[in-house]
Amino acid sequence: MWETLAQAVINGLLIGGIYALVSIGVTLIFGVVKIVNFAQGEFVMIGMYISFFLANQFGIDPIVSLIVSTPVLFAIGVLIQHFLIRRVLGPNDMPQIFLTFALSLLLLNLALMLFTANYRTVHTSYSDEAFHIGGLYIPVAKLIAFGVAMALSGALWVFLHTTDLGKAMRAASQNRDVATLMGINPNRVFCVALGVALALAGAAGSLLMPFYSAYPFVGQVFVLMAFVAVVLGTLGNVIGALIASLMMGVAESLGIQFVGADSGQIVVFAMLLLTLAFKPNGLGGGRAR
Amino acid sequence: MQGQRKWNALLLAAAVIILLVLPLVVKSSFAIDIFIRILLFSFIGVAWNLMGGYAKQLSLGHAAYFGLGAYTSTILQIDFGISPWIGMIAGGVVAMLASLPIGWLCFRLRGPYFTIATIATAQALMLIFLKFRDLAWGAEGTTIPNLGNAPLMMQFEAKAAYYYVALGLLALGLAITYRIEKSWMGYYLVAIGEDEDAAEAIGVNAPRIKRDIYLISSFLTAMAGTFYTQYIYFIDPATAFSFNISIEAALVSIVGGIGTLWGPVVGTVLLETTSTLLQSWLGGSIGGVQLTVYSLILMAVILWRPTGLMGLATEAYQRYLRRRPARA
Repeated sequence: MWETLAQAVINGLLIGGIYALVSIGVTLIFGVVKIVNFAQGEFVMIGMYISFFLANQFGIDPIVSLIVSTPVLFAIGVLIQHFLIRRVLGPNDMPQIFLTFALSLLLLNLALMLFTANYRTVHTSYSDEAFHIGGLYIPVAKLIAFGVAMALSGALWVFLHTTDLGKAMRAASQNRDVATLMGINPNRVFCVALGVALALAGAAGSLLMPFYSAYPFVGQVFVLMAFVAVVLGTLGNVIGALIASLMMGVAESLGIQFVGADSGQIVVFAMLLLTLAFKPNGLGGGRAR
Repeated sequence: MQGQRKWNALLLAAAVIILLVLPLVVKSSFAIDIFIRILLFSFIGVAWNLMGGYAKQLSLGHAAYFGLGAYTSTILQIDFGISPWIGMIAGGVVAMLASLPIGWLCFRLRGPYFTIATIATAQALMLIFLKFRDLAWGAEGTTIPNLGNAPLMMQFEAKAAYYYVALGLLALGLAITYRIEKSWMGYYLVAIGEDEDAAEAIGVNAPRIKRDIYLISSFLTAMAGTFYTQYIYFIDPATAFSFNISIEAALVSIVGGIGTLWGPVVGTVLLETTSTLLQSWLGGSIGGVQLTVYSLILMAVILWRPTGLMGLATEAYQRYLRRRPARA
């Protein structure tokens, strides 16, 4: 019993690390640019396909292909902010919601047209390896993914707290007008925020590839989880999103273990609805940090 | 002003006559099928537009009510032998009852998080109908027993009959929208859509107005669900609660002109025509083409014409009317 429980918690934490990369991106964009990026999951999908093709064509390990997927997605993020999102920033919600929503639909269906709905997998030397500690089973690929995800989250925290650009982003998320008065160029900050958020999504995609299949709809799995985590962790709060993502991973895994293999999604929806009903401002109730 | 009203009435009368005789002239069942789709999605768009357009509560979860309407009438018909005409009303009532707790949850959030919450509730309902097989046939769904020509059971041999039912639904939706648009409620809705806090500050009871319009919108959407199931003789959770229904309801309204009476109709005509043309060119063999094109149209509208095609058309029409007397 305890072993099963511990195993479920470990599985949840490991996948929660990936959820965290996606949620941190969503919350970063929300905090700084004040929009919700409905297309965040599709950028995970793009990251996965990049790693898949690099592995398939050139035999590059998916983890190594991080060095391709993150800069590519950073560039895509900057372009999207500069050419699309910048044009709809304003008091009106409708264009913002439906622009990123249209982007999500577009990317998803383009992927469907170009790559078909087939599942693509990459088999690495460590895909089937696992550590056995006591009675617990820790898959190497997931452990690497978790480790890199945590390292990237840590690096983001350091970036936000020590560099001028990072401080400018935090300033812009706390009060855009005052930040602008202090000489911060909002569009530049927004471009970086989008770029970093998408790079994180791309990293999540590459990290997933050794143990997860790529298909056009794959992003939907992650984006929904990210939205729940972002609400739970208080909108715009990076640390909150990280902790909430890990909790979501554990909750989902416990649901799968103790309720049934196909109940993961139900647990997520239940958590979302409970969050909305009782903690619509998040568990912390704080502001962007 | 007088001239504009006269022209509007003439245009409307012409449109009604054309729509009424259309199935008598066009006999191709393929064409009738497309007309029915256009009428049905216009109606769903009109239902969405009441809440999403006027009050700017941008729901992407209207499939919840579409599905509830579809399932209520089907369960009543198959298990109890009750006519879908009654089932249609019952489905609407079930949808209204469901909209109360769903609205209570979702209206706590604003903007994009309201949208996400509505997506989640529709998906959660689909999961419920998938998992609880005792409730309604689980994932396999069921076919509606074909009774031949049974108008009392909303089953017709002639496709044209379905056309008139769909036309009736659309007329109902437009009439309700017109009445609301001209009433105090319409102004309250627009005020909430413009700025909810400001509306509350001048005494608009925003939570109550939003709840009421959600009731009406969900009732109408459920009616569409019943009709659609009767039309395709099949129901399963994936069709009845399809996310595409929620998407299309919002899409046709935004492309046509959000918060306008005719916007959803104009948007549906454009999108469905595009989709039909695409299918005939490409043979419908490549998945994702239709939604790729829809999303490109949506992005173009948002970036260049946030008022939709109605905004464009209204400007052109008024420019024409203003010029006309000068020439006469």
